[in-house]
Amino acid sequence: MKESNLVLTWRMMLLAFFLPPLLILAFEVTFFGEFKGLDSGVSFTRFANATLTAFTLCSLFLLGNLFFYGESRNRPLAPLVGMIMATGLGVLATVFFIGQGPMLLEYNGSVRAQAIYNIVHMFVSSGAILLSLCVALGVTFSAITSQKQRSSFELEDE
Amino acid sequence: MNIRDFSRVMDEMLQAFLLFWIPVSMVPLGLWYSLTSSPLRGRFLAFTGIVLICLSPWTVPSSPSSAAGHLLGAVIGPCMLIVLGIYLISFSGNVPVGKLPRSDRKIGFLMTTVGFAWLAGMHWWILTPQIVQNEVNAYWYVFWPTFLLLTSCLASCSAVTLLMIGERRKAESNIMFLVSAFSFTLLLLGLNVDGPLVTSGDFRQHLWLAVADMSGIAVGSALSILVFALVIYTYERNLPGPESITPPTDSELKQVSTLIATHLGGEEE
Repeated sequence: MKESNLVLTWRMMLLAFFLPPLLILAFEVTFFGEFKGLDSGVSFTRFANATLTAFTLCSLFLLGNLFFYGESRNRPLAPLVGMIMATGLGVLATVFFIGQGPMLLEYNGSVRAQAIYNIVHMFVSSGAILLSLCVALGVTFSAITSQKQRSSFELEDE
Repeated sequence: MNIRDFSRVMDEMLQAFLLFWIPVSMVPLGLWYSLTSSPLRGRFLAFTGIVLICLSPWTVPSSPSSAAGHLLGAVIGPCMLIVLGIYLISFSGNVPVGKLPRSDRKIGFLMTTVGFAWLAGMHWWILTPQIVQNEVNAYWYVFWPTFLLLTSCLASCSAVTLLMIGERRKAESNIMFLVSAFSFTLLLLGLNVDGPLVTSGDFRQHLWLAVADMSGIAVGSALSILVFALVIYTYERNLPGPESITPPTDSELKQVSTLIATHLGGEEE
């Protein structure tokens, strides 16, 4: 594939991915003249909490992966320490920013309650993300397997 | 065992730790154990964890986190129906290995339809997950808009990918556009049609929160992967170069050339 075609393909795929939320935005603006129900302050709080929690949990998961990486490298300590520091930084940043006051507190009275809520919230979101991935990939696969089998000769003739 | 009496005796934090967080940690531990050493024991551990999480609204009613356990118990049925249905549809088609009977296709389609109808019934019918009467489980507002929006986005992306990268994949692409349009229609219905407990206003508010949530997860995960790559890159860059070895001797070179000569060419049939 030519480089210009590849760039176009990537752009089209990205546009297709963002099309549904963009269409909803367009409908909202057309019919209501505003983003009804959108509270930027609450949305920012959710975005910040999700970022901090995803960073910390993902770092923890990658820290676990470093054990497998270490098996082929005589178990080096340096990358392990690096990832432990990254995870620690995530935890500290979460506690620090939530502790700053109402900015990152969502209906919770304390840092601990908010941190626990963030983790549980992340589990629920991850479940929804995982299910939608299963549906999208599964339906793509079943759409491909439901078509008639192609012979290699057909492809060679083209 | 009387769970209520037991819960009154124990400290609430300890109770949540023992009856919610330990079962939560049992799931990834069980999965890891099943992949590395003992599949049967690992699966049993993960299954026990899931059952205990689903039971958490009864075992740890004081913990707000148990609402997630309640949601898991409520959605695990339709989700399993959808996933198993898609599996049956996929493997009853033209697959080279593990092909299922053709009749499984209809069963799979039925299971997927029932799964989606069940989930839709949680929004627009009486099936809404409620911890107490007429109070919607707060995590349902997280799960449902996230699932619908991401399914629509991923299906749309998959349709365009099939069109642009795949060869003669128009029929498959159309199916994916249909899935995307179906999810999108459910989203629009949620934004405009009230259910018995879930109003369109609530759904609209939580849809934007789901967008913020997914963006946050994407940014946080990307940052974490970037840090991971940086840590590995820095470590690998600081490693000393490999030691040089002596060049091959004449006898070694001769042996290699003999070996190569025996493997080059070949007799014609």
